[in-house]
Amino acid sequence: MPVDVLQVTGVGFRYNAADVLSDISFHVRSGDYLGIVGPNGSGKSTLIKAVLGLVQPMRGSITLFGTPSPQFTSWRKIGYLPQRLKFADPHFPGTVEEIVRLGLLAGKKFPRTRTRRDDEAVEKILLLMGIAPIRKRLIGELSGGQQQRVLLARAVVGGPDLLILDEPTTALDPETRDNFYAFLHELNRTHNTTVILVTHDTWSIGKYATRFLYVDKRVVFDGTFDDFCQSGEMTAFFGLYAQHQICHRHDPERRGSNGPR
Amino acid sequence: MDLGELIRYGFMQRALIAGTLIATLCAILGVFLVLRRFSLIGDGLAHVAFGGVAVALLLRVEPAYTAVAAIPVVLLSSLGILKLTEKARIYGDAAIGIVSSFGIACGILLTSVAGGFNVDLFSFLFGNILSISRDELLIAAALFCIVVVTVVFFYNDLFAITFDEELAKSSGIRAGRINGVLVVLTALTVVLAMKLVGIMLISALLIVPAVTALQVARGFRTTILAAAGCAVFSVVAGIFFSFVMNLPAGGAIVMINILLFVVAYAFRKTQMRGRGALP
Amino acid sequence: MVLDTHDSTELAEVFRGYDDFLRNHHIILPKRKLRKAYRDMVRWRSLVLFAALILVWSACQRQEQVPATDKLKVVTTLFPLYDFVRSVGREKVEVSLLLPPGVEPHSFEPKPDDIVRVNKADVFIYTNKFMEPWAADILRGAGRSDLLVVDSSAGATLLPAGEQSGEAGERVDEQKEEHHHPASGMDPHIWLSIPNAQKMVDNIAAGLASRDPGNRDFYHGNAEAYKSELKRLDQKFKEGLSACKTRLFLHGGHYAFGYLADRYGLSYISAYAVSADAEPTPGRLVKLIKQMKSHSLRFVFTEELISSRTAKIIAEETGATILTLHGVHNVSREDMERGATYLTLMGRNLENLRKGLQCR
Repeated sequence: MPVDVLQVTGVGFRYNAADVLSDISFHVRSGDYLGIVGPNGSGKSTLIKAVLGLVQPMRGSITLFGTPSPQFTSWRKIGYLPQRLKFADPHFPGTVEEIVRLGLLAGKKFPRTRTRRDDEAVEKILLLMGIAPIRKRLIGELSGGQQQRVLLARAVVGGPDLLILDEPTTALDPETRDNFYAFLHELNRTHNTTVILVTHDTWSIGKYATRFLYVDKRVVFDGTFDDFCQSGEMTAFFGLYAQHQICHRHDPERRGSNGPR
Repeated sequence: MDLGELIRYGFMQRALIAGTLIATLCAILGVFLVLRRFSLIGDGLAHVAFGGVAVALLLRVEPAYTAVAAIPVVLLSSLGILKLTEKARIYGDAAIGIVSSFGIACGILLTSVAGGFNVDLFSFLFGNILSISRDELLIAAALFCIVVVTVVFFYNDLFAITFDEELAKSSGIRAGRINGVLVVLTALTVVLAMKLVGIMLISALLIVPAVTALQVARGFRTTILAAAGCAVFSVVAGIFFSFVMNLPAGGAIVMINILLFVVAYAFRKTQMRGRGALP
Repeated sequence: MVLDTHDSTELAEVFRGYDDFLRNHHIILPKRKLRKAYRDMVRWRSLVLFAALILVWSACQRQEQVPATDKLKVVTTLFPLYDFVRSVGREKVEVSLLLPPGVEPHSFEPKPDDIVRVNKADVFIYTNKFMEPWAADILRGAGRSDLLVVDSSAGATLLPAGEQSGEAGERVDEQKEEHHHPASGMDPHIWLSIPNAQKMVDNIAAGLASRDPGNRDFYHGNAEAYKSELKRLDQKFKEGLSACKTRLFLHGGHYAFGYLADRYGLSYISAYAVSADAEPTPGRLVKLIKQMKSHSLRFVFTEELISSRTAKIIAEETGATILTLHGVHNVSREDMERGATYLTLMGRNLENLRKGLQCR
C-alpha cells in the first residue's frame, strides 16, 4: 500500500505582512510524480523551502515520511535541486567530483568520513549522468546545463526516496531538457523515487506527472492533469483560453504532438 | 654571517617554527573565510580585542594576561557578527564593521573612564614574530592542533556550507553551528596569534594565501593545501629575506605573500590565454 | 534605522513599531514562535538600553570639581616637569600632569578634556619642541593669549640622538648605521642629564615667579634647595659609577639615555632609535646579541611601561639578567600612588646601573 511520503496540512506563510501562502494542504504518496505549477510569486519556492525545513511555516504542519518536520532527521531520503545557488560564487574552487560527493553527507553520521563505497557511488553517478569526463573541472567553469547535471547528480547520488526539484530546466536547452526529464522519469518508474517538480513547463507535467498541483498562494487545483484539463471549474477559474494554453502547451520543437504518450 | 649561523639562535628557530604553524592554520581558516566574504574578520576582531582588553583592565587584570582575558569578549563578538549576518540581513563585511567599531568605541570610552591604561597596551597586545618566547611557542603549537583537528573533523560540513548554505541545510547539516565553529576558531586565532606575531601579519595571512590559492585552484582540497603551502613559504622566505636585507620580518613576510599572489594571478592569465577559456 | 538614543520619543517609536510587527504576525503563532519573538524583542530593547546607558554614563562622568583657589594653576606635560614644579611651587601651586599615569608619551594623543585643562591654566610647561610635537596642537586648541608657556629646555644642552648607539668606544659614523631618526635628529630626553635638570628647574622657577611675583623668593628658595639635592644625586652617580667592571650598557628599549651615558662617561647601545615604534630586524637582534657576547655583558636593561620583548629575547640568547632603567617620562599608577619622584626614580636607576655595570 503506497505510503504517504509528504503530508502538508494548512500551511501558511507571511512575509512582510503579506500572505505568501495560505492554507496549503496536500499529500504525496510514494511513487508519485507531482508537478507544482503556478505564476511567479505564487509561493512555490517558499512551499518547497518549508517542506525542506529551510523556513518555518507560520501556520500548519508538515510531515515527512510519517515524522513531523521539526523532528525529521533522515535527510538522506530527500534529494534537493534548488532553483539557484544561494551564494553562487562563480569562482568556487570545488571540482565536480567534490560537489557530487557532497550529496552523500546527509546519509552519514558525524564526523562524516569518506569511505571507498562513497567513491564507488560517486563514480557510478558520474558515469550515469554523463559528467565523468568533466569530473576534475571546477563547477564555476561549467555551462548552465553542465552545472545542472552536476547538482542533479549531487541530489541523487545518495539514492533518495524523494526528489524535490525547483525549476530545474529554466536554463537548459531543449535537448538537455529532454534528457533531464527522461532521467527523472526513469528514476520514478524504475526506482520508485517520488518526484516533486516545481516548474513553469506545463508540457512536461502533462507528459510525465501523475499528479498536478496548481498553487497561487493557495491550492487552486489538486488532481491529475487530465482531470484539470476536463474540469469545468478550472475553465471557469482560468478562462477557456488560458486552460487551453496550459493543457495543450506545445513544446516548440515538437509540433503536433501533445497529451500523454 | 651565513644562514647556518643564523639558525642557531633560539629566537630564529622559534620564529620559523611558530611562524610555520601559525601560517598554516591561518591559511586554512582563511580559505573558508574568504569564500564566505568574511575576509576582514581578522582585522575586525583585533579591534574588538582592544575593547575586550579595556574591559579586562577595568577589572584589574594583570597587563600580561589581558590578551587571554580578552578571549571571551572576542569569542562573543565573533558570534555576534554571525548573528548580525543572519538576522539583520547584512553581508559579512558590514557586520564585521559594525562589531569592530563597537569594540573600539567601547575600548576608548572604557579607557577614558578607567583613567588611562597603566601600561602601553599595544606592546602587550601585539607581538612580533622575532620575539616569541618558549611559552608562546607552546601556545602556537596548541592553537595549531586545535584548529587543524577541528577543520579536519568538520571538513565535509565546512565544505558543504561554504559551497551553498541552503543545500547544506537540506542535507541536515546544522549550518548555524558549523558557522559558529568557524568564527570561534577565527576569534581564538586572532587573539592568541596576534599576541605572537602582531595583527598585520595575522590579517594578511588570513587573506592573501587563500586568495593566491584561489587563483590557481584545481579543487577545494588542493586549494587549502596550496594556501597552506604559500603561507609557510612566505614565512620562511620572509624571515630569511628580512635578515639578508635587514628589514623588519613581518613586513617582508607580507610582501612575499603579495608577490606570490601576483605570480599566481599572472600564471592564471597566461594559462587562460593559452587555453582560450573564459576567465 | 539610525537611533538617536537620547531622544526618548524616538525610542518609544521604535518599540511601538516592533509591537506592530509582532501583532501582524500574531495570527495563530505557535507558542515557540511567540516565545522566540518575545525573546528577540527583549534582546533588542536591552541592547538599545545598554548602549544608551553607556553613552549617558560616560557623558556624565564628571571631572573632580576643583574649588576655586588663588593658587597658580600649572599644567605640565611629562612627569619630570610635574615633579620639578611640585618641588619648586609646593603648596602655592596646583600642578597637573597631562599624561595620565602609565601612558607612553610617544604615543600620547590629547583629548578635548586636556585642551580645556590647558585653557584654564595660568602656566603651561613643556619639555622641548622635539619631545612633545603634540604640544603645539594643544596650545592652538586652547587659544589663550595670556597663558604663559614655558619651554623648560631654554639654555639646556641638547645632544644629537643616536651618537652612543654604536660599538663601544667608537664615535659612530651616522651614515653607516640604520637609524630611524626624527627629522631633527636631536635627543629630546634632556631631563636625564642632571645639569640639564637644574637648568629646567631654573626655567620653571623663573616662569612661576613671573606669573606670581609676590612669591618670587619662595619659588627661588625652593629651586635652590632642590638644585642642591640634584647636585648631591649627581655626585652619587659620579662616585657610584667610577669603578665599574664595564662601561657599556645595552638597553632593549628606545634611545633615551644618551645624556646619562654622556655625563658619566658610559657607552650606551639601544635596540631602537628615538621612536619606540620601530620593529626589530633580525639583523639588528643578532648584532645586539653579538655585542652582548663580545663584551661579556651579564645584564641587559629594559624600559618602563612597555612590554620588554626585545630585552627578553636578548636575555634568553645570552643568559643575561634583565634590569629596569627607568626613563622617567611617565610613571605607572602604582608608582604615582607610592609617591615616586624624579630623585627616587633616578636613585633606583643608579642602583640598577651599578648592578648592571658591575660597579664596586
